[in-house]
Amino acid sequence: MEKTSWLNNIFLVMEDITNKVMKSKYNPFYYHGALPQFIMYILFLSGLLLFAYYVPTIDNAYNSKNLVNAYTSVDYITEQIPFGAVIRAAHRYAGDAMVIFIVLHAIRVWATDRFRQYRWVQWISGVVLFLMVMFIGQTGYYLIWDERSLLLTRMTVSALAAIPFCGEFLSHWFLNGRTISNLTLSNFLFIHIGLSFSLMFALWIHYVRMTRPVITPPPALNYALLGMVFILVYLFPLTETKMANMATQPTMSEVDVIFLWPYQLLAAVGEYPFWIIMLLLLIGLCVIPGNIYGAKPVEAAEVVNNKCVGCRLCSLDCPYQAIEMVPAPADSRFKLLATVKAQRCSGCGVCVGACAFDAIDLPNLEDAQVTARIKELVEAS
Amino acid sequence: MAEEKTIITLICERAAEVDSVMNENDTLKDQPNVKVIKFPCSGMIQPLMVEAALKAGASGVVVCGCQIGDCYFREGNRMIKERLLGGRPPGLKANTDRRRVLALWLSRKQTDRFLSQTKEFVSFVSSLEDSGAKAAVPEKAPPKVEKVEKTKKAEKVEEKATEKAEATEKAESSDKDKE
Repeated sequence: MEKTSWLNNIFLVMEDITNKVMKSKYNPFYYHGALPQFIMYILFLSGLLLFAYYVPTIDNAYNSKNLVNAYTSVDYITEQIPFGAVIRAAHRYAGDAMVIFIVLHAIRVWATDRFRQYRWVQWISGVVLFLMVMFIGQTGYYLIWDERSLLLTRMTVSALAAIPFCGEFLSHWFLNGRTISNLTLSNFLFIHIGLSFSLMFALWIHYVRMTRPVITPPPALNYALLGMVFILVYLFPLTETKMANMATQPTMSEVDVIFLWPYQLLAAVGEYPFWIIMLLLLIGLCVIPGNIYGAKPVEAAEVVNNKCVGCRLCSLDCPYQAIEMVPAPADSRFKLLATVKAQRCSGCGVCVGACAFDAIDLPNLEDAQVTARIKELVEAS
Repeated sequence: MAEEKTIITLICERAAEVDSVMNENDTLKDQPNVKVIKFPCSGMIQPLMVEAALKAGASGVVVCGCQIGDCYFREGNRMIKERLLGGRPPGLKANTDRRRVLALWLSRKQTDRFLSQTKEFVSFVSSLEDSGAKAAVPEKAPPKVEKVEKTKKAEKVEEKATEKAEATEKAESSDKDKE
């Protein structure tokens, strides 16, 4: 075992402290992946309540006396609906919390070296999930239809239009037409909700290589998290904004750094450099799991075919779905035979521990060697 | 066996850091009767290995994995914990003297805790032998006081002897089914 990196050491020290404060069962560091999942449920529920009253238009021609549009419906939710302001603010802050927890999740996975080789599917799908969450959050900001929404929409259109070849198509898709219209907001609402449900599919890919993924934190942590969101809501209620007016040119004022940093970047460097930076970031994130540095090659477990009885214990216990039970050859006394998918194997040896028949081995540490070593050590005294 | 009680430690190489407190011949510096075997993950430890060590004449076996919840390979430490407690096949044989098995779940920074717990365990095992119990695997099932010592008191409550006995029986019956 090589030395632990300094980043890993920081986490080890922090986790040691949290383990002393709360038991390891409640250590939030051990649920870093499950926490964003729980926040997603908060977002789904609060979003459902908001959706009940939200009107995705920029004006309503049939009801011109009292203007009904996206902005006034959000205003109605905030001002008139009991606890509407609380739900709306909870939806906003839970979204911010989700991004923060996802980033912490990625940092811990990075620090503890749990992201590459046999885990590359999780990493790449994680990058995609992060992009989806960012875009969902940004469309959430368009939906309010205040001055900031108008500005963000215009910035997005200019950024999309700058993309060579498909720029025009993308900006027309984004606006759902050539200009900002009522259809634009229904498109935004569709992106916001449709992508949110697509998260479920991406999460399935994220979990598919993991046996028994940890997706639910203990209830105590959930309550604490929910409490934190409501404390934020109480401390920082959402401030009132001005309705978007298409005739004006609003400018960037206060900006949510967590979701809207790409827009700050866009405003600072312009369209082309923005896309180049984003593309480089994306490629960088996707290339990371390649064995660029310091990865130990995995020596996959090997099944001793004539000893395997086909009991499935190793296949059930494998944490990475690396063992598949196939029909045993015709001359076998048993029905099934375990086979190792080498590229999925982490070489952890959990299958060795699961086998009561010595039928699976790590090539660099066979269980017969271990037993012999145990005897040797006992007899040496 | 002489005065020295041989203790075999089966430890995950990512759990409590023992390199700095070990001699070259796999023994602990200040407790040379404690012998250490390292594994890539505590999940690799077979209950058979624990039994083999006791059968070969070791006075006790320490199994050490990472903090529950923090396995590098996701769930290896949880697996061996459940196997030792009898909740997951393959388990320990019913006639194994479970008083001689100590399970510790320690993170990389908890070397001191590992040493102090091992020391305590050695004296506990010696007291067993002084009181006349046999060192090797007893022929009959051990008395009901069987327990796997844990790092945390709360976890001790969980594993009542009766529950465990039931679980072990289940594990065994499922073993038989397979054969």
